[in-house]
Amino acid sequence: MLNKVRITSTSNLLPGNDGWRSLADHYDLDFGEYGDWPQVLMSAEAAPVIWLCFLEDLVPPHIVPDAAIDNAEPFDDLLRPLVQALGKRLADTAAPTLVVWSAWRPASPVRAARDGDPWRKLARHLDKTLNELAAGNAGLFLLALDDVLATSGLDACFDSRNFYAARCRLSRRGIEAMATAAAAVFARISEPAKKVLVLDCDNTLWGGIVGEVGMEGLVIGQDGMGQAFVDFQRAALSLKQQGTLLAIVSKNNENDVHDVFKNHPGMALNMADIAAWRVNWREKPDNVQALAKELDLDLDSFVFWDDNPLEREKMRHALPQVLTPEPPVDVTLWPGLLGAMDELASFTASAEDRRKTEQYRHRADFIAETETADNEHDFLVTINLRPHIQAIDRATKARALQLCAKTNQFNLRTRRHRDADLTQLIERAGDGAFLVNLEDRFGDHGLTGLVIALPAATADIAFLETFLLSCRVLGRHLEAWMLKALIDILSHRGVDWLVAEYVPTKRNVIARNFLSDHGFIALSGLPPEDRDRVQAATAEMACGGEIYAANLSSLSIPHLDLFSHDTSVSA
Amino acid sequence: MTHPSLHDLLRQQFPNADIDSNRPNLMVGDLAEWDSLAHFNFLMRIEDAYGVRFDMEEMSELKGLEGIAASLAAKGLKI
Repeated sequence: MLNKVRITSTSNLLPGNDGWRSLADHYDLDFGEYGDWPQVLMSAEAAPVIWLCFLEDLVPPHIVPDAAIDNAEPFDDLLRPLVQALGKRLADTAAPTLVVWSAWRPASPVRAARDGDPWRKLARHLDKTLNELAAGNAGLFLLALDDVLATSGLDACFDSRNFYAARCRLSRRGIEAMATAAAAVFARISEPAKKVLVLDCDNTLWGGIVGEVGMEGLVIGQDGMGQAFVDFQRAALSLKQQGTLLAIVSKNNENDVHDVFKNHPGMALNMADIAAWRVNWREKPDNVQALAKELDLDLDSFVFWDDNPLEREKMRHALPQVLTPEPPVDVTLWPGLLGAMDELASFTASAEDRRKTEQYRHRADFIAETETADNEHDFLVTINLRPHIQAIDRATKARALQLCAKTNQFNLRTRRHRDADLTQLIERAGDGAFLVNLEDRFGDHGLTGLVIALPAATADIAFLETFLLSCRVLGRHLEAWMLKALIDILSHRGVDWLVAEYVPTKRNVIARNFLSDHGFIALSGLPPEDRDRVQAATAEMACGGEIYAANLSSLSIPHLDLFSHDTSVSA
Repeated sequence: MTHPSLHDLLRQQFPNADIDSNRPNLMVGDLAEWDSLAHFNFLMRIEDAYGVRFDMEEMSELKGLEGIAASLAAKGLKI
């Protein structure tokens, strides 16, 4: 069954029009009644809402010139009904709201040439107002429709006949372009962007075949086509800045390719930008599978970009999970296309995202060394593990949310907290909620652990609401240190019992083993009086998983000798 | 280039309806789901398929397949 999406607008939307297909194929679209947007926004509708807002429907253009004096107050007055209705919905529900807004109307460029057009000023004010709202509301998403429609041509996307005949401002093409863009935003709300961009080398990163023409013969960095290849590399670099991992899969001699990366003055990409390499003569699907294993990522998080149609066909055939786009023959189009690919675009990039490549490389190095070490304990001692606690504040909350959203393996309860409920939990938990940063010989792994322990109904019991660890630092026993850090905090408060819940998913079995390996006892194994007390104090917080408890006074945690034990909080 | 028939376009617009190819002049209201809004969408579908544009008057006056066919013919299109 398709999920419901409630659509409402300031004008008619022609439900049933063929232009809606890209949304209608994926969602059960409920259009309600024409013009019902105030009711929809005020009713705390639980389904995601798309609100199409044409500024002209809300503010009669002929009254704007009178209102347009030098301060913004009259604009705020004009936009108040819109802001109030939207604010009400955002306060009432965390369900996603996508505001698709347009201020387009035919205008003379002459008026705009000296900023004499009050309508444009009002439009900019609306843009600013909506963006300010979105900055404070994780559930609000914006689609500036005029920017989207400009690609197809605004004249072709608006249709005055449709407006006067049916009160719909858009043409069929306009509806189609709008629905396609809205579908892309909705897809990203429900699933993360692709994580890895796999690039070919010859005739993809540069013009020419390095094995035939040598490094000197390559087209890269010069004017013309050479510039297009550089700009394509820059588009890839900019994705890397947003958190996409770049990988190279090329049929070549490895030395030739490394030589170009290290020594060709025209290259924008360098060796350190690439998270993983497979330069050899094996089939590319085999190489991509090996990369997926090395990076510990699913194949469906890969995008494969190759100029060669045969390689693309082979990839689609062997690994249909991998997204293999069909780049046009004209390479000058590539920089724009890669930069605008919906599948690789995310809403925001945190500081952690920008450092992801480095961190995946650390992880690959760590795994390689672990595999050759004779003794795990001795090896871990040599890498000098240095964890520390980081308070969850304004600056780090986005990372905490991201860890909740993305951590699948070491995650006790896999609660996908949104902004509002995380804020509440942090407040309730006090210093029992914190992030953990880890550095070791392989580098700074960033914020990789999250703990939230809530006070239970009885003061000497705490409940482990969230306990998770990013897969990039697994294998270091950091979870033992996190548990010890938490216990130190709880003991100060007079807590004796820590209750944990394991909620099984397809991928988190590693977290169940953690509990039994670190002194937690399944509820059924406790003496009856302890069991009843623990159960009663945490019943409201548990959600049907397996309950474990640990008595803090008798708990002995293994592996702590691996850490320089400092559990003080950095501000 | 050949265009899909008006009956075919009607089937695309109403995939669940039973449309009789032997009735040349099907009209708004002949199918339960064929109301004025659906008719507007149907005319836009025809515009798209035939690369034509109906003006405001035609949008309100063309109610059945025969009239639409005549209008397309007047625009120089063979259907």
